[in-house]
Amino acid sequence: MTSKSKLIIAIPLAIVLLGVLSMYFLWNPTNYSFFPKCPLYALTDIYCPGCGSQRAIYQIMHGNFIEGLRHNYLIVLLGVVLLYQGVLFGMHKLYQKSLYNILHRPLTVKIILVLILAFWVLRNIRFYPFTELAP
Amino acid sequence: MQVFYTFGIINTTNSSTMETKPQRPSNYLALAIVSTIICCLPAGIVSIVYATKVNGLYEDGRYDEALKASNNAKTWGIVSIVLACVGWLIYVLIFGVAFLGAVGSHDF
Repeated sequence: MTSKSKLIIAIPLAIVLLGVLSMYFLWNPTNYSFFPKCPLYALTDIYCPGCGSQRAIYQIMHGNFIEGLRHNYLIVLLGVVLLYQGVLFGMHKLYQKSLYNILHRPLTVKIILVLILAFWVLRNIRFYPFTELAP
Repeated sequence: MQVFYTFGIINTTNSSTMETKPQRPSNYLALAIVSTIICCLPAGIVSIVYATKVNGLYEDGRYDEALKASNNAKTWGIVSIVLACVGWLIYVLIFGVAFLGAVGSHDF
């Protein structure tokens, strides 16, 4: 792909992303019914690993980090991975340095998989202290 | 500069051994994590499972299988994100229009 055609895709994507983020900034998903519910939860009554991320994004954008994290602790993982990839990408683009990416280590990926699966199982146990993990 | 050394710059001295290897396929882990946490679909988990296989296969020298796992990780991640985006858009359009209609019909 040429850099021009990349830009043609990237710019509208960035605008859409900003638009969606500002929706989550303006309206609290807890109070407005037009935000989608988790399809898995709606069908099966099982929380998925992503449940609560809409509320978490709203709270974190309003500076309530703890409140946001309590809706979905995996947001931390998402933030760290995206930041890490972003830094690596920036290093590569700006300084032509290719750094060793720890996300490419088989062990790292396995730990992340186990972490997400464990989180998924534990947040569906409906008594204290596991209810803390529920959205 | 310290950051370069802690994470380790790719070692250019093994370039002679690198030549025989095809390029390491991406495991699309970031894509997989985004699709799992944002999209609420089990397809994201499938993507992570494929992502776990890529580098192990690559290091075992099974390059074709590694590439296949990489492509699967990418496909499942993208499918998950596209499905979620389409679903999200339909939901917001239907209920957002209903919401605006309800707001508009009230006399303030």
